[in-house]
Amino acid sequence: MSWIREGELNLIERLSANVLKAGPVPKHVAFIMDGNRRFARKKHVDRQEGHSQGFNKLAETLRWCLQLDIPEVTVYAFSIENFNRSREEVDGLMELAKLKFLRLLDERDKLEKHGVCIRVLGDLTLLPLDLQQLIAKAVVATREHNRCFLNVCFAYTSRHEMANAVREMAWGVEQGLIKASDVSEALLSECLYSSNSPNPDLLIRTSGEVRLSDFLLWQTSHSCLVFQSVLWPEYSFWNLCDAVIQYQCNHASIMKARELHQDEQRRQQLEADHACVAELLHHHGNGKPADGPRRQEAVAEYGLRREARVKDFLEALRNKRDSFLTQLASQATVA
Amino acid sequence: MALVYELVWRMLHVLLHIHRTLVTSLRVLLRNWNGQTWRRAVAALLTPASLAGFPDSQKKLVLEISKRARGRCSRPSGCLVEKLPVHVGLLIVEEQPSYTDIANLVVWCMAVGISYVSVYDNHGVFRKNDTLLLEKIVRQQDLLGLEDSKYNAEFLSNGNTVHQDQIVSGQPVVKVLSPEDGKQSIVEAARRFCRTVEQKEKTSKDIDVPMFDALLRESKNIPDPELVMKFGPVDSTLGFLPWHIRLTEFVSLPSHVDVSYEDFLVALQRYSTCEQRQGK
Repeated sequence: MSWIREGELNLIERLSANVLKAGPVPKHVAFIMDGNRRFARKKHVDRQEGHSQGFNKLAETLRWCLQLDIPEVTVYAFSIENFNRSREEVDGLMELAKLKFLRLLDERDKLEKHGVCIRVLGDLTLLPLDLQQLIAKAVVATREHNRCFLNVCFAYTSRHEMANAVREMAWGVEQGLIKASDVSEALLSECLYSSNSPNPDLLIRTSGEVRLSDFLLWQTSHSCLVFQSVLWPEYSFWNLCDAVIQYQCNHASIMKARELHQDEQRRQQLEADHACVAELLHHHGNGKPADGPRRQEAVAEYGLRREARVKDFLEALRNKRDSFLTQLASQATVA
Repeated sequence: MALVYELVWRMLHVLLHIHRTLVTSLRVLLRNWNGQTWRRAVAALLTPASLAGFPDSQKKLVLEISKRARGRCSRPSGCLVEKLPVHVGLLIVEEQPSYTDIANLVVWCMAVGISYVSVYDNHGVFRKNDTLLLEKIVRQQDLLGLEDSKYNAEFLSNGNTVHQDQIVSGQPVVKVLSPEDGKQSIVEAARRFCRTVEQKEKTSKDIDVPMFDALLRESKNIPDPELVMKFGPVDSTLGFLPWHIRLTEFVSLPSHVDVSYEDFLVALQRYSTCEQRQGK
């Protein structure tokens, strides 16, 4: 089955989609596609068949999202915890992933036509090398596309991602690019695997479970969470509409909470800059406290210098990550 | 055409709003009716004096349940709920906080044997007024007749830390949280780690999930919340402890205002039926 599902909505679906689009539509939706194995048990089919049907549903859901003007989707495909499953199932899932990424490379023209950019978020080094190379190749091939975005979380957990972001910042400190005092909420967000995406507006989990299971914990702190009881392979256009309606009901209060949070973030950054300037004056100044306007000026100046440092560091980080992928992808061509 | 769609959209949301309001008011109506019958039944049995403070029916219920829960019964059928969380988060996403109702919830948690209770709202209102909340909790404890049991709330907020011996002695701990304890504390832990790297005590390779987890916890041995009861109409965590809610089950209740003991029990029961697969 293919990554791109062409097809149109029927009349009623189209009308409903247009009604929904009259209100605020999420710009980024995240899915925990739960229930493939329960679906297989229910239908008395092979477990692997359940996973395949789940993938087909993903292609269909991506089409619905585009038809609802949702340009970005993130899905939880494989958690680091999933390595604890039986050897047979893990191998089966890795095989499925290999097939799908090979298929993706075959469908390059179609992806280009629709402008689909595919990113894989997670610790690739935990995967078998041939799969790593395939993934890198697929990501590099669609890197320039910018009409819609699909982020596949593979060998991912949110805690791993956050710890990794801290490691990247520590690397920046080691390289002398940033100072420890430059570490902030905004900088940490920029060091996550998801740094190229806005935070999800809506997170959907299927099959009735009511927890996040280590998925995008940082990014969804101000997202609308919708838990639906339907099993993932049975997900329908109407389930998606239902979730979007719930998002719209929550939209105003969540926006308000986000603004409050952003104000607080700005305040904290200013406070941190003030503290750094005070420390600098204490060490290098003549001991006399600077007067109001002079101090304001010094803080503003310090802020600019900090921003420049952070910008250089993020540039270096991006280069590091890009060259890691490009290198992996080129190995794949040789092999 | 766009105008028609917008009109239909508006109508849809007005209908949804009416539906929600109706459901809420029906709930309150039913509760009041129920409450009155309770009170009448109790009034027939007890002296009026004991009624002045707190519905006595509830008091007895709580005491009975706390005995059962604390007794660690061997037969699962005799237990109130089969699986009890160790740490419960109360997440309030409503405009108007009601201290008495929160205090009730905290006291009920302690009565059924939950060791850690966290109270959170995204405005930090409870953090700002934590002394008021503590007073209310102590009052509700008195009303429930729990004052002579050893269930004293250890109250934590800015600056106070839990002592290891308190945790060992099994006293319940109440923690009032604000957004500062969420992402901001993660950022602070990251900054602390980067300082040690700056001073060449550590290298960037040293950090991994268990180490960062330990850094965040700083010697406090509080487990992650297994259950969050969310009160209010917003379907979001609004910044509640992002690191710690990895496996937390979320149970939504419409409002914490006038929340009843039955609602609380239903939420606990919903948690006890959840199955954790840990990736398997």
